[in-house]
Amino acid sequence: MGYRSSVEILTEWDIVAARQLGRNEAKEVGFGTVDQARITTAISELARNIYLYAGKGKIEIERISEGGKYGITIIASDEGPGIPDVRKVMEDGFSTSGGLGAGMPGVKRLMDTFKIDTVLGEGTVINATKWIR
Amino acid sequence: MNLRIPILKLNDCLIVSIQWELDDQTALQFQEDLLAKLHETSARGVVIDLTPIDFIDSFIAKVLGDVISMSGLMGAKVVITGIQPAVAITLIELGIRLEDVMTALDLENGLEKLQRELEA
Amino acid sequence: MNKIIATLVQDNLDEILVNWQELMREDSEEKFFQIMSQSVVDSTSREFAELMISNLLEGENKYENRLNVFTSKVVRFGWSISFVMKAINHFAQVVYDLLEKEKIIVDENIKEYHSIITNWITPMRDGIVDTYAKTWERTVQLQKIALQELSASLIPVFDKISVMPLVGTIDTERAKLIMENLLEGVVKHRAEVVILDITGVPVVDTMVAHHIIQAADAVRLVGAKCMLVGIRPEIAQTIVTLGINLKDFTTTSTLQRGVEQALAWTNRQIVEVEGN
Repeated sequence: MGYRSSVEILTEWDIVAARQLGRNEAKEVGFGTVDQARITTAISELARNIYLYAGKGKIEIERISEGGKYGITIIASDEGPGIPDVRKVMEDGFSTSGGLGAGMPGVKRLMDTFKIDTVLGEGTVINATKWIR
Repeated sequence: MNLRIPILKLNDCLIVSIQWELDDQTALQFQEDLLAKLHETSARGVVIDLTPIDFIDSFIAKVLGDVISMSGLMGAKVVITGIQPAVAITLIELGIRLEDVMTALDLENGLEKLQRELEA
Repeated sequence: MNKIIATLVQDNLDEILVNWQELMREDSEEKFFQIMSQSVVDSTSREFAELMISNLLEGENKYENRLNVFTSKVVRFGWSISFVMKAINHFAQVVYDLLEKEKIIVDENIKEYHSIITNWITPMRDGIVDTYAKTWERTVQLQKIALQELSASLIPVFDKISVMPLVGTIDTERAKLIMENLLEGVVKHRAEVVILDITGVPVVDTMVAHHIIQAADAVRLVGAKCMLVGIRPEIAQTIVTLGINLKDFTTTSTLQRGVEQALAWTNRQIVEVEGN
């Protein structure tokens, strides 16, 4: 089990805090500048989604290593309404907030692995990992 | 914490240099401030330099896009300069192409480009 | 008993090696024993023999060490795994024959020795296969990295104009690297126009086109203009047939034309100077 840190998401400022944490962790683990940007942005998107749709949640960042490789896992969890149609959400261009809403497909492209677990009425957990190439 | 982004005037243009990470509130405040300044000065061009920025998410990208559209409505052309490679790559991968946005390498090139656009 | 075998091998090493090399030469399709110089064959054989008895005589660590060194060497020589297997089997055979000849193995203890030899050989076989596979994987990995390092670099041919010649297939992994190099180069060289030369890209399918378009988009965000040159007739055909839309790209047939166009964009042109 790697080193794990987390940020509660309640206000807009927490999105900033989550980003800072992500950026620091990415730097510490040894990611290059471009991957640092990818990770920070992914966290910002995930945190923002929690803030907009669930109102309250948590971003956890865990350092991982396997077979000599090092990386980071982002776990975005909330107790919001859940995602009714996961497939639709993963379609490019879909956005409920009318924003440029890069949304989930964008985050998926930024990271190496991406998994959504959601239960209507109970909440959502998103798991995304990036390895140092 | 209420630091507002400084907007400078150079001849017919407004110059904005974003020096630190934008949080949502600061970004929205900036949007307001810029439009107010445009109104005040009737400037015809704006250069927004993002050199120190090391990441842009979809929200900030939207705010920037909106600023450009709104400025256009007020008669000003906008050039964005100094987008870092890491930021460019992340935006493209997120799917944000910013197709109609004018860009330039840095402030100097940005001002030149504005001049050309305004003379056209 | 292990000691007996080991001592026997050491005492009769030369004879064993000669017999073993003979068997290898006959049996194998592998050219190693026929082509390489005798001194190389001898030293490799010796190393192999030492490896074989090492786990009988020496400690775990020393054996592992020898195993790693030996397998790295034969992977580099290009020995196939079946060749290595044959080598082990033949060696066991030669040693067995010798043990019989020296009357160390006799009818009464044949079963015992058989089991000893099996216990000696089998873990070695497993160990060698395992290490061989790992070494092989590592080599492939290094080659992959070397290949990626071949990656395109951005060449500043003129002030404000840079060229990136793309060579070889562009998979997602390489595309990411290329994009990073490209963008960092644009900022470093302060390029206003970037010319991507795809003369050396053998196949342009929708995936490759997607990567090229992404790279161009990113270049535009950073503040430069992107141009595509070197589109061969076959490539032009595939692009249109696949319905790939490159309308946002300026394209020219050759690098030369591309440079001329880029110069025009940056308000310059090449003029011939009055001769001497």
